Amino acid sequence: MTSNKKKRIEDLFNINVLGSGEQPMLFAHGYGCDQNMFRFLYPYFENEYKVVLFDYIGAGNSNISAYSHEKYSSLDSYADDILTICDHLNLENVIFVGHSVSAMIGVLASNKAPTLFSKLIMIGPSPRYINDAHYTGGFDETAIEELLETLDSNYLGWSTTMAPVIMGNSDRPALGEELSASFCSTDPEIAKNFARATFLSDNRKDLKSVAVPCLILQSKKDIIAPIAVGEYTANAVQNGRLKILEATGHCPNLSAPKETAEAILEFLD
Amino acid sequence: MKKADSKRLKAALDLYDYAPCGSVSFDKEAMILDINHTLCIWLGYTKDELILKRSLLSLFRIGGQIFFETHFFPLIQLQGFVKEVYFDIVRKDKSIFHGLINVREVPAHDDLPVSYQATILDISDRWHYEAELIKAKKQAEADSKAKADFLATISHEIRTPLNAILGIGNLLHQTSLSENQKEYAKLLLHSSEHLLGLVNNLLDLSKIEAKKIILEQVPFNLADLANLLHQTYLVKSSEKGIHLHTNVDTDVPNYLIGDPLKLKQILTNLIGNAIKFTKKGQVTIAISKMKETTSEVCLKFVVSDTGIGIPKEKLEAIFQEFAQASYDVNVEFGGTGLGLTISKKLLELHDSSLNVSSELNKGSQFSFELWYKKTNRQSVTTESNSIDFKAHKLEDMRVLIVDDNPANIFIAEQYLDQWKIKYTSAESGLEALSILEEESFHLILLDLQMPKMSGYETAKKIRELNLESSPVIVSFSASTKGEVQSALEEAGIDDHLSKPFQPNELFQKLLKHYGVANEVDNREKKIEPKTETHQDEVPLIETPIPDSYNLQRYRKMANNRQEFLKKFITSTLDALVSYQKDYNRAMNARNIQNLSDLIHKSTMSIYYIQADRLTSLLNESRQGLHQKSTTSDLNELIDTCNHEFETILKGLHKDLKN
Repeated sequence: MTSNKKKRIEDLFNINVLGSGEQPMLFAHGYGCDQNMFRFLYPYFENEYKVVLFDYIGAGNSNISAYSHEKYSSLDSYADDILTICDHLNLENVIFVGHSVSAMIGVLASNKAPTLFSKLIMIGPSPRYINDAHYTGGFDETAIEELLETLDSNYLGWSTTMAPVIMGNSDRPALGEELSASFCSTDPEIAKNFARATFLSDNRKDLKSVAVPCLILQSKKDIIAPIAVGEYTANAVQNGRLKILEATGHCPNLSAPKETAEAILEFLD
Repeated sequence: MKKADSKRLKAALDLYDYAPCGSVSFDKEAMILDINHTLCIWLGYTKDELILKRSLLSLFRIGGQIFFETHFFPLIQLQGFVKEVYFDIVRKDKSIFHGLINVREVPAHDDLPVSYQATILDISDRWHYEAELIKAKKQAEADSKAKADFLATISHEIRTPLNAILGIGNLLHQTSLSENQKEYAKLLLHSSEHLLGLVNNLLDLSKIEAKKIILEQVPFNLADLANLLHQTYLVKSSEKGIHLHTNVDTDVPNYLIGDPLKLKQILTNLIGNAIKFTKKGQVTIAISKMKETTSEVCLKFVVSDTGIGIPKEKLEAIFQEFAQASYDVNVEFGGTGLGLTISKKLLELHDSSLNVSSELNKGSQFSFELWYKKTNRQSVTTESNSIDFKAHKLEDMRVLIVDDNPANIFIAEQYLDQWKIKYTSAESGLEALSILEEESFHLILLDLQMPKMSGYETAKKIRELNLESSPVIVSFSASTKGEVQSALEEAGIDDHLSKPFQPNELFQKLLKHYGVANEVDNREKKIEPKTETHQDEVPLIETPIPDSYNLQRYRKMANNRQEFLKKFITSTLDALVSYQKDYNRAMNARNIQNLSDLIHKSTMSIYYIQADRLTSLLNESRQGLHQKSTTSDLNELIDTCNHEFETILKGLHKDLKN
């Protein structure tokens, strides 16, 4: 018997709640992949926090049929989804960890519900990717067009090549066999729509109303979010602290999980 | 090292350097650690220009760099390899090399940090094929979309002339006609309504196909919805002599969050079909609870009939567009054959499905399950509430009609004449603007699609005039309000009516906005202390028991004529007094049949006075008898119901005296 149980919030967002702590820590993945982005990071918090993981609609194992191109053409709808998830799980006093574009989604959600988050942790945030006269975002507008072309070019190969083979791989014990076959294999149209929503967004004006303590974690070298952008973000929020990591690249949560976790733990203490 | 070994090593290195594929290794920061000769040749660089000087990332175009950082590298780090991903690589001369990259992680060992080995294939040929395929695919998709758009546009365009046909049909029906002519007018009206149904279905279907329909999440009252459907179909089923039963289990929550319009549409299709294909017996709508969590509930909806049934081999086909069980079915029963397809697709949108079981000549049963969020909000609004209590006299109202189509103007004028509303008409935006300089209006009915100056432009220009009276602008077009919402707001248009519209829809809009406009007027009047009383005026203020009943519908029918309204109220009073007696008799005798008859009999009176609470109490009573509830429970119900009767009777008496 079929039903629309997939519409239920847990299945809609593929929500996973782990850990033995009380205070919720909500991990929001960025553009590109899904909650597996935090695979190496969240174990550092499982003992003391209630770890909440999810996939945005259109990513990972979320219910793709709930995706709407109109709705998800701006980050605002993603922020609404964060509120839906928190509301559904009755989360309060939430520590929000947002990677990449999710840092700004967290900012938008925090402005919509100013008492929901007690702290914001932003990994590689950027309120504006495109340069303008008085601001360095790191990209010019042609970059986003080229990204869309790249996504198009990988169209035919995508579904197979970007999906990992399920492995019982002994040298990667962290990856169980359950690693979702859909990791990083988003529908190209969804990927393009999310890319547009992400890289064309401008959330600079939204930062100043964020009053809760914010930790901005910034790789020392990151082409997606250069150090200047991290500095800008830390200064623009009311109560921001910038921490430059030794790690490089846009995903220190994957490439340097220990260093990333330590920086977060230090901030939370 | 032995000579043979060193020879083998050289051979291996040669193979590495001159293999027909590119090789490059890089570190965690994508810095190039080594690169083979083949790849250097392909890219036009020397090894010295790249090794430990350039990162692999810097050889990609910027889009590729983002892709690498957000998709490719995370995947390598998670699973240790990535196969066959395409990248544009920039040659030294800035031209593009089309490469397919395989990467393998070399884990840290012997003090060496982790590194990555990539093999790169030249896929220029394949790239060109793929580019052609993508182009062909896009073309095919564009063609299919163009066809869908064409269908949508045509359906849309048909609605405009259909508006005139439906309107004239309505007007014709109200003139004095011979028996023959009446029959023709009825046929005309029915056929145009049928055509409208078909066109609306086509539009819906094309919107579903184009994925333009999304599910709403709004609070709604399920009992109201079921009741409304029951009322809507009661007349039709009674006409055919079929019993219509609606059973909502008592444990089904009333207040839900979901998409009530889609649910209504699905049920409307199923109930309409059930009645259509049933000649005798009954049609039953049953709603029951399947599962429940703290926040959500899964409901099962079943529509069953005792109709002609569907042959087994046709069960699949009935869900296809324009398919009915047989050609004869269409001839005998009519219909578009789109209803089931739409219902099925709407359910798919909910991640649910439509189940059907049927036996030829015994009947059919359609069922589906839906999950809804529960809510405690008692203040779930229903559609009709928005115009309640604003039943002001419309005779003082002045309306400006702006439409380039004389037929549409004519129809609107006929309606306004009937309601005794004063109007002026303009056939273009420019004409409207010049009229507005001379006269003031309460409300402007504005067509959106006009040549030269569109409705939007006209509205903007009207707003720029900064008229003192600041008229309400209600636009109309073949688009639905949702489709044009943002454009309406931008142009300063207050409300929208989608074509074709029924006269009561127009009336409701006038009522809604003139009510508001009138309140403003009243406020202004208060400043000048002038009191006027009209003895013969229909009371504008509702009796203080608005929840038990509502005279809105009678007022509309009475067209503000006091004597008619009084007549309506008197006959309702008489009827209710006898209904109350019947009710008590049936309840005391525990006679379900008599109570059902009473409910059936009283439907129309109750409908007109919108005594929704009484309706649900009567239904509850029936359910109580049905489930053989305890005497004390029943007595309590009887008391409540009698109290409700009394409240309405008292209120109506009072209305009569006013």
